[in-house]
Amino acid sequence: MSIQWLLDRMQTFGDGEAIIWKGDRYTYKWLLDRVKYWETNLSSNGVGSGQVVVIEGDFSPNISALLLALIGNKNIVVPLSSSLPEKQKEQFVSIAEAQVKYTFDSDDGFQFEALKKRAENALILELQSTNEPGLILFSSGSTGKSKAVLHNFTKLLEKYRTPRPAFRMIIFLLFDHIGGVNTFFHILSNGGCIVAVDERSPEGVCKAIEAFKVEILPTSPTFLNLLLISEQYRYFDLSSLKRITYGTEPMPESTLKKVHEVLPDVQLQQTYGLSELGILRSKSKSSDSLWVKIGGENYQTKVVDGLLYIKTDSAMLGYLNAPSPFDEDGWFNTEDQVEVDGEYMRILGRKSDIINVGGEKVYPAEVESVLLEMDGVTDVAVTGEPNPILGQIVKARVNLGKEENISELKKRIREFCKGRLEQYKIPVKVEIAGETQFSARFKRMRR
Amino acid sequence: MKIERQKILELVYASIEPINEQRESKDDKLELEEETHLFGRESKLDSLGLVTLIIDIEQSLVEELGLEVSLTDEKAMSQERSPFRDVKSLVDYICSLEV
Repeated sequence: MSIQWLLDRMQTFGDGEAIIWKGDRYTYKWLLDRVKYWETNLSSNGVGSGQVVVIEGDFSPNISALLLALIGNKNIVVPLSSSLPEKQKEQFVSIAEAQVKYTFDSDDGFQFEALKKRAENALILELQSTNEPGLILFSSGSTGKSKAVLHNFTKLLEKYRTPRPAFRMIIFLLFDHIGGVNTFFHILSNGGCIVAVDERSPEGVCKAIEAFKVEILPTSPTFLNLLLISEQYRYFDLSSLKRITYGTEPMPESTLKKVHEVLPDVQLQQTYGLSELGILRSKSKSSDSLWVKIGGENYQTKVVDGLLYIKTDSAMLGYLNAPSPFDEDGWFNTEDQVEVDGEYMRILGRKSDIINVGGEKVYPAEVESVLLEMDGVTDVAVTGEPNPILGQIVKARVNLGKEENISELKKRIREFCKGRLEQYKIPVKVEIAGETQFSARFKRMRR
Repeated sequence: MKIERQKILELVYASIEPINEQRESKDDKLELEEETHLFGRESKLDSLGLVTLIIDIEQSLVEELGLEVSLTDEKAMSQERSPFRDVKSLVDYICSLEV
């Protein structure tokens, strides 16, 4: 059975803590008993193998157990985070051709709903015919249109069979994100402990690290920037923390250096992954370096014209709503521009995010990194804006700690950037943002 | 509503000032005169400098006079004579825009 090996392994962890949720501790034994409960629930609700099942909520004890039960039952699982806008949820449910839906509330109670009779999408039908469980994730995509990614769950789980050290980790990324899914299975397959946080604020996360002796925090550069500004790391005992992993967007160098400065004993490790391919194994050159080695067993990489291509057995089967992106040899173009130095590479940013000013390339992350060093700048998103003379110009939307007049700010920015950035990289247009500029996933919104 | 020319001229000069401040050599600074070339062989601005100035003027027009205009749209780009030749032509062009 596709997941029996994992359940067997979890059995050996017995009374060890598997999940900490809202301050309560749940053991592996509890979790396995709960999987049995859900197996019964599925059969009494008539949820047969192959059906597409939506789970709406966030990581919780019941959702964890249901997820495992659904894989065992050979279902195609569609995790949807409660934080998504209602309209988007409806759209995702319809693209995934979901047949049933479990909606969880914040107390871990749930509602069951039967939806569509059967799926018609060719890829779904193909997966159903192989009698394998599946996973559908939605990739945000830089163009705004979400693509539905279909994985064979058995293949995706294959890499967790290799035993690795067990840690107590915060599950920071949401459970409909490939990074969240990765953390979840990484922890459970090694006997680690999931620390769920309901408040993903710097304070909430630091509090959880102190209270539950968290060892690894997987997060995003945007969150780390917030952590620095809030200075919450000063008020909590973070001595249990061994490693912070960061990914999902390019890391501004200034943020990385500052985190390393305030948390010198914590190893900072970059991760790399995509909804389409899963999370690759990676190793940063050092805690304050953006150079990283990525790959690992089952993953091949190559760089063509500065763009990173990846090939892997555990890649998705395809998109439900878009043509296959793989070339005939199975390579996937990540659209990530990289720089290569021997075994290491540096991720510069999505090709589509790169700004072209009169033929010169500007990477938003580089400009953001410089602006974040300025006094009073708490956050910034740099984008390109069409301009008939130069093709594109650099625009910076800035969040400020205290009020400042726009022309003063503009002047200050230009002075600060002079000597730090080439002329064409210096923002021509500056706007002050009144609202926060990151999503529920703590990813910078460049718009 | 017709735009008052003098106000626009002052606003253009005010936008040139911070650009001048960042130029160390006196020879690189733009004179605050209507004849000052903004683009072309005789201008002290390169294309990036010109675009920066135009965007600054656009932002000031909105903030100070409440005028929302685009100075680099198709209309501006397709004028028989470029509005970006000198300060005078730019000010005239802004005034010619019906708001």
